[in-house]
Amino acid sequence: MNFLKLDPLMVKRLQRFRRIKRGYYSFLILVILFVISLFSEFIANDRALIVNYEGKLYFPTFKFYPMAEFGQMDEYGFDDVEADYHGLKTEIATLKAEFKDRMETWDGSAAELLESEPRFQRKDNWVLMPMIPFDPYEPDFSYDEPPPNAPDGRHWLGTDGQGRDVLARLLYGFRISMTFALALVVISQTFGTIIGSFQGYAGGWFDLYSQRFIEIWGTLPFLYVVIILTNFFTPSAKMLLIVFALFNWLGITYYMRTEMYREKTKEYCLAARSYGASSMRVMFKHLLPNCLTPLVTFTPFLIVGAIFSLTALDYLGYGLPPPTPSWGELIDQGLQSDNRDKIWLSMSPFAAISFTLILVTFVGESVREAFDPKQYARYK
Amino acid sequence: MPLLEVKGLKTEFRIEEGVVHAVDGVSFHVESGETLGIVGESGCGKSVTAMSIMRLIPDPPGHIAGGQILWKGKDILSMPDDAMPDLRGNEIAMIFQDPMTSLNPVFTVEKQLGEVLEKRFGLKKEGARARAVEMLEQVGIADPSERIKAYPHELSGGMKQRIMIAMALMCEPDLLIADEPTTALDVTVQAQILHLMKKLQEKVGAAVILITHDMAVVAETCDRVAVMYAGRVVEFCDVYRLFEETKHPYAFGLLKSIPKEGLTKEDSLATIEGIVPSLIHPPTGCRFADRCFKARDRCRSEDPQLRDVGDGHLTACHFPIEEGDE
Repeated sequence: MNFLKLDPLMVKRLQRFRRIKRGYYSFLILVILFVISLFSEFIANDRALIVNYEGKLYFPTFKFYPMAEFGQMDEYGFDDVEADYHGLKTEIATLKAEFKDRMETWDGSAAELLESEPRFQRKDNWVLMPMIPFDPYEPDFSYDEPPPNAPDGRHWLGTDGQGRDVLARLLYGFRISMTFALALVVISQTFGTIIGSFQGYAGGWFDLYSQRFIEIWGTLPFLYVVIILTNFFTPSAKMLLIVFALFNWLGITYYMRTEMYREKTKEYCLAARSYGASSMRVMFKHLLPNCLTPLVTFTPFLIVGAIFSLTALDYLGYGLPPPTPSWGELIDQGLQSDNRDKIWLSMSPFAAISFTLILVTFVGESVREAFDPKQYARYK
Repeated sequence: MPLLEVKGLKTEFRIEEGVVHAVDGVSFHVESGETLGIVGESGCGKSVTAMSIMRLIPDPPGHIAGGQILWKGKDILSMPDDAMPDLRGNEIAMIFQDPMTSLNPVFTVEKQLGEVLEKRFGLKKEGARARAVEMLEQVGIADPSERIKAYPHELSGGMKQRIMIAMALMCEPDLLIADEPTTALDVTVQAQILHLMKKLQEKVGAAVILITHDMAVVAETCDRVAVMYAGRVVEFCDVYRLFEETKHPYAFGLLKSIPKEGLTKEDSLATIEGIVPSLIHPPTGCRFADRCFKARDRCRSEDPQLRDVGDGHLTACHFPIEEGDE
């Protein structure tokens, strides 16, 4: 992207983009949210961030520790399964309370009490849990009522039908949606740009036939293809990405094709060729930097489309396989007949998706405005 | 052996209305170091000839239908495609008509000159920069080390054309094709640019094909001239002979149409009556016959070939101009 930095026109456009406050701040918020969501494991997780146990520090986010490490055992007598950090935290708190109670009736010093009952030594251990101490997969059955449970101090946005924390699922869902959308944009825009450039630059029969192929390809109904494919294959993020990409690369080819058609007639293209530049060099080094406007202006809207379609597919049940945290699946839960009064289930993903899509649309709008050459034109 | 010899070149464009015979059997040659002018009105095939030599005809719709272009004795038209990039720029360089669009708008001058230097001489970064600055200085750009950082839109037309000349001559080519290099420029700048080209040409020792429709430019700069009309060379001779002993009626008409000293507002300029014939269905016989004051029946039936009318003066006319013709 070296040429983006050098091109003064592009610099000017970026400056113009920065001046459009709505788009610029939307962009900043989105970037910050996305970067934060990349570190979701440190924000919403049922593994502790740091555990101080018997004078040793543990960082369970990065490493698996069995229950035996912290003297725990599950109800079936296994101690080699993942440690229960919630349990550890409760245990320490109970010990502390108990120790306090005993001190009130104890005559000697605290040290003597510790000596007589060594189990109290464990009260000095501590566990630091993340901000949202639940991961998006583990059900929480600690309530008396069956899930979904309404929001409270424990689960800020309540739990879903399987007792999983909604906020944690929203956060991970955001990460998946954004990563998916960005990956899709990179793949389909790259492929579409290459094909469109070849069409425009080569022209002739290649353009003619590939354009007809694209038109036919474009009429394939996306949803039906996905439904058919999900009947044969288990949907995975990779498969969905490929299917999405197969349908999304078409859009940009039209624009790159016409841009190339226009740019290749300019004399600098001929000049470059007259100095012996190869077709590839002329196309991608000389012409492409002059054809970037549609690519940049359409990208945000493609992201909007990708997030929305992924949510829609998840809602319909043809998207990412459960238990992947996803917004569409949450909306689906919230709209089931026995959940209609559990408003947090449908409203929180709805709010999240609206917020995200509005932000991306603002960015897209501002980018388009910043790139608009007719900015100062006056129509009479 | 001449440096470049074009023999019976035919270039056609297939369009909906039919096949346009833009260049139809053009022959001429260029000796090393000399300047050949190609003159003629718009659409007579001057630029197409130049593009054919470089093999830069947009295909489709155009293609070279026949003839030979011998470069140092080797036929350019039968060379493989991947041999052309080595020839272009390194041995034959080109300057275009419109300096406003011949530089890539998104790169600095330094980058564009650097690219050519890297391809031609393998010079990179500092080496290329020093060479480019030196070259800009030679083409008369003030403060070259600052100007080199400029983008094309920050430069004037004359400056851009100087940069194009610098780029072309930097390659030290054996042949420079200048396709109306001064047409888009101010009259005052035109003279400077032509003078500069001449000076640098002498320094590098390159032959030049100067395409123009300006007779004054021809008189000023060329050693020999090929006059083209409707896709053909009609007169090919020494520049002095063209002005002193014009043989072809078309060339004669062209020279007469130059405004002369002593003309007043009331005098009308001499013109050649009629219009250029269609290149899709060219008339049989001489293509100039309909506009020619000397045309006879033979002109309309028999196609005149280029023939020597004395001392290597070639003309394609059955009834060349004689003394006393008006």
